Amino acid sequence: MTTRAVFKARIEALISSFEAGERVEPAARDGLIDDLAAWQATRIPEYGRLQRRGVWPPALPTDVFRFRRIAAHPVEEDRRVFRSSGTTSAERSVHAYCDLGLYDLAARIAAQHMLFPDIDDMRLIVLAPHEEDALDSSLEYMLARFAEWFGTGCTWVWRAGKLDLELLTKELRTAEASGKPVAVLGTSFAFVHAEDGLGDQRFELAPRSRVMQTGGYKGRSRQVDREVLLRAISVRYGVPSRWIINEFGATELSSQMYETTLREDIDGSVGPRRLWVPPWVRATPVDPDTLQPVEAEAVGILRIDDTANLDSVCCIQTSDLAKRIDDGIAVLGRAPGATPRGCSLAADQALGAL
Amino acid sequence: MTDDASVVRRRAAAVLQAGAALRTASVEERAHWLAQAATALAHEVHGKRSELSEATALSVPMVEWAARTTLATIVEDAMLGLARQAQRGSHRMRSPISMLSVILAGNVFTASVRSVIVPLLFGVPVLVKASSKETLFPAMLRDALVQTDSRLGAAIDLVVFPGGDVECEAALAELAEAVSVYGSDETVAAIGARLGDTPLIAHGHGVSVAYCGPDALDDAHVGNTIADLSLDICAYDQRGCLSPQVVYVAETVSWSAADFARRLAQEGLAPMSKTLPRGRLPLSVGANQAQWRGIAEVEGTLIAGDTYAISVRDTQPIRWSPGFRNVTIAPVPGLDEALRAMKPIGSNLKCIGTDSASLPELQARLADSPAFSAYACTIGTMQTPSLDALADGHSIWHGLFQN
Repeated sequence: MTTRAVFKARIEALISSFEAGERVEPAARDGLIDDLAAWQATRIPEYGRLQRRGVWPPALPTDVFRFRRIAAHPVEEDRRVFRSSGTTSAERSVHAYCDLGLYDLAARIAAQHMLFPDIDDMRLIVLAPHEEDALDSSLEYMLARFAEWFGTGCTWVWRAGKLDLELLTKELRTAEASGKPVAVLGTSFAFVHAEDGLGDQRFELAPRSRVMQTGGYKGRSRQVDREVLLRAISVRYGVPSRWIINEFGATELSSQMYETTLREDIDGSVGPRRLWVPPWVRATPVDPDTLQPVEAEAVGILRIDDTANLDSVCCIQTSDLAKRIDDGIAVLGRAPGATPRGCSLAADQALGAL
Repeated sequence: MTDDASVVRRRAAAVLQAGAALRTASVEERAHWLAQAATALAHEVHGKRSELSEATALSVPMVEWAARTTLATIVEDAMLGLARQAQRGSHRMRSPISMLSVILAGNVFTASVRSVIVPLLFGVPVLVKASSKETLFPAMLRDALVQTDSRLGAAIDLVVFPGGDVECEAALAELAEAVSVYGSDETVAAIGARLGDTPLIAHGHGVSVAYCGPDALDDAHVGNTIADLSLDICAYDQRGCLSPQVVYVAETVSWSAADFARRLAQEGLAPMSKTLPRGRLPLSVGANQAQWRGIAEVEGTLIAGDTYAISVRDTQPIRWSPGFRNVTIAPVPGLDEALRAMKPIGSNLKCIGTDSASLPELQARLADSPAFSAYACTIGTMQTPSLDALADGHSIWHGLFQN
């Protein structure tokens, strides 16, 4: 068995044990991160050049994905290459995969736990391009997998490079009439464009319908305050605000984090809106000078150690400002001046907003 | 606390009206008053150093250093010399403009000094729009001028309003014969577009670099080179357009750029973090710093201390740091290659610091090259420009006289 296969098996076991309802000990995760990072430093020269500061392995800045190929395998073995959608720089983040097994496993189990914990499958309405129209987008890839794993049917209301408002309206009216819950998934941009285009139309989606939005505004289009957009979506679609959750993902990562409110509502608990961190991921606000964890609920820059990043680098330093809230994380936005990036920009490009 | 358009308009009118009285004074009188005011302000700064540190996010020693070195340039002889220079030029027969409005950026708090003192010296009244981030020092400057002489004091005032407030901006500009704008290229362009026919004196985005020739690294000079360069890097926490972002180092048989960088860190930047400590690091800058330092490690060598870092790497591509004492050292064979590496920076390059031995050749090369509008000075003085130093390729009195 190769070293890679051993690591893959360890990671799969960690993620699968969570799916099986077992408690994942942070020490086990941390040990895996240490081992994985040490091995990755020997395989990826760029990562190997980073010096360790403190007890944790060094974290590779996300911007490095814009300038260098960060992959242990040769280009010929690429099975899928995800690129960030930033256009302010000609250099987009690139994350190449030779194997999407861990990505799929992490994405499926996280979504099942946080987005579809109460239901095996349901109808999906996606405010984003189909995977085939955006082959290098990790978001579109993930949404296509959601359609396979959780969808009784799925309609992509993004057609021919634009949001198809007529189709969206038809789908929402059909869902309304069916009395069955649906999941409306899309980028924050797309929801804003829907707000702009749907006029005074209102929908009353069935109970247990839910909304997942993702991505920021990249400073490139009309920005809507997060709370304002949340209220607008709630009113527009007739979905309680706690059933509208944000997903946090990035091209450089293989795992996603989700806001907790939907899951808590289903469980009958109440807590502050925050991101749930999958137990195979370590998310830590760090001090920008020392790169060590900040204390308590102080704001730091978000470091994410994602064990599902097997063939690139698992320890990633983002430019997002974040703080701990209870057992989760609140992402406060990207530092001004940091490279805007993320999937929701692809949608805005398609709408000609740039 | 911000001002609305009616307040801006009222103050502009008052300042404009005070211009006539100001011009009845001789240039010698005005230079005398301005020097007096600078001395008084220097005393005031000491008493308000903590508040200024809070307002500017610079450390107390840095605030005191910055104010002292800036105000030290406001002396009668220098001002009279400046007036003579202006008279020798093509401006001799021309009258000063009736009023200047100045829009300040917030990155270097002492920038208000030259932008206010010089127009007043030439008899031009000034209305200053201070950065909403930093109003304390401009207010102290105005108060010092008011207390020195009533004619002088009436010819300067201050307004504060949010950037992008078009109504206030129009009120600021409508009585001015020129508007001097400090800020990003985008800010300057946006304001320029809104100004219409009012002449714009643009001070857009700028960066500076340094060049250390072979003599700078020899045994007799390297100590001074390190001390001077450290001061240039640390001053204002590298937030200004005169802060060196990249230092091109001519490697010698005995010195590699990496060797020099290590000594610069140990003997220059580390001690200076005690004597002139860095101010608080904004988190947004910190996020960019983490990215920049990581890339520096991946692409070259990073030498990092508690509050500084040096990236030793090739000249291209230039990875601009977020400032705050994060500097690049790039090895070059000599001045030719250094200038070639600087060329893509174009008109955004404001100043090139260099060692004394390299200065004459660098000045000659800059004079011969239309690609550069930057001026050259010796390292150790990059952040303390003399009163008559060029501003964006122009004389400091550019725009203050009628055509």
